[in-house]
Amino acid sequence: MNSQSAPHQESERTLAEGGTASSPKESKIKGLKCRECGRLYPAVAIHICEFCFGPLEVDYDYAAIGRRISRRSIEEGPQSLWRYHELLPVTGTPTVGLHAGMTPLIHAKRLGKLLGLDNLYLKNDTVNHPTLSFKDRVVAVAMTRARELGFDTVACASTGNLANSVSAHAASVGMKCFVFIPHDLEAGKILGNLIYNPTVVAVRGNYDDVNRLCSEIGGEYPWAFVNINIRPYYAEGSKSLAFETAEQLGWRIPDQVVVPIASGSLLTKIRKGFQEFEKLGLVSPNDRLKVNGAQAEGCSPVYRAFVSGKNHLVPVKPNTIAKSLAIGNPADGFYSLDVVFKSGGAIAAASDPEIVEGMKILAETEGVFAETAGGVTIASLRKLCAEGRIGRKDLTVAYITGNGLKTMEALAGALPDPVSIDPTLASFRKTVNPTN
Amino acid sequence: MTQMRLHLTFPEERVREPIIYEICRKFPVIVNIRRADISLDSGWVELEMDGELADIERTVSYLRDRGVHVDPLEKSILEG
Repeated sequence: MNSQSAPHQESERTLAEGGTASSPKESKIKGLKCRECGRLYPAVAIHICEFCFGPLEVDYDYAAIGRRISRRSIEEGPQSLWRYHELLPVTGTPTVGLHAGMTPLIHAKRLGKLLGLDNLYLKNDTVNHPTLSFKDRVVAVAMTRARELGFDTVACASTGNLANSVSAHAASVGMKCFVFIPHDLEAGKILGNLIYNPTVVAVRGNYDDVNRLCSEIGGEYPWAFVNINIRPYYAEGSKSLAFETAEQLGWRIPDQVVVPIASGSLLTKIRKGFQEFEKLGLVSPNDRLKVNGAQAEGCSPVYRAFVSGKNHLVPVKPNTIAKSLAIGNPADGFYSLDVVFKSGGAIAAASDPEIVEGMKILAETEGVFAETAGGVTIASLRKLCAEGRIGRKDLTVAYITGNGLKTMEALAGALPDPVSIDPTLASFRKTVNPTN
Repeated sequence: MTQMRLHLTFPEERVREPIIYEICRKFPVIVNIRRADISLDSGWVELEMDGELADIERTVSYLRDRGVHVDPLEKSILEG
């Protein structure tokens, strides 16, 4: 297990000779670095430090990047996350997910009024391309890097958005694709993947069994398992949410962000994205930035650790309608907790009814139909405002990460029936009475 | 021989028990602790476990029966 023997010739060449899309002589990726002990590794398909078992992260040459990147160079780039390619872990021309990212940043005046916020913005990844969730960002980066490393097969274990995105992107470039799911997953959840014709493997076992099997498969087969051996690159795609936010705010860092927590990676990478922009002088530092997290009460290991003031997470068995956030033992849970504590932010949790209410008020005030994770974010934002943790004048950004069309079942029974009338003007006047 | 890399999470009621010692006595597996963080009320251990696959499976079942949460090193891989 974990003896990855995948091809990685490209990376060795890159490390030896240098080379990026913009400069053949100067590499921006120095390699991978252990987040715990700092040990260095080549930029290949590995994710764990063999010395201390800590997670590996991409180690960039910021001096080299700083010589090439500018606001102007970004603004002249494509209308996608690839305008930030200098800060993403690929060495050549992007080949996958060319239209992902650059989603709208909405000034949410009506929702802000409801919550008592004058400067509330929504980063709206419900319209991300091609599969309507923020996963299109991480998968675009992971699969571009996987192809650079010579992989022809991609895999993931997912019950929803990740499987959608991996399947669609694999189809778009003709890569072989394996998706692992628990055998008892509702049929409707997987139809959105089958249309792209991946190999869907239903594992007879519970979530823990699927996790263990996929860990073993990730070590046995020469595949790009996006959130195992490609995870250091995959996770970096989330930084593009921070980059876009800062640029769309007029090259500013917000005062408060509210980010849903599943694995915890998204929250840590949004913070990292802002830090990188600050480090490179693309924005003025904002020491007031507070990073806040949002979890569903039915799967809230990070929230529970936060309220207890501890840095140990206790794994939970998920029981929530917010399936896209239902990760019982999040890989980056500790690190996300650390970011929240250090920034002076907070974490809130939302019950299932509060999640549905969050989805409704987002739709009714801003016309945005988010999936349950968006309901978690809005319900948590509401609590953070009520607790006085977010101030009226704070420049606040909430991250809406997936489309409501994917979780319609969560709204069953929660919305009023249509007004039913006879096909006559009289019936319309009598029943609907639009002048009232 | 097979090797597995595991992340074990100990609940408060188990954190003072010598469970790692127990599995080494009960099962023919070799355990090598690589990283750990233990406090009075909780803790986790990351380790390599070498042995025959069937013995590793029995050891993992025993750990779960004792209330220890067992994940692969990567923790939750299955995402939404």
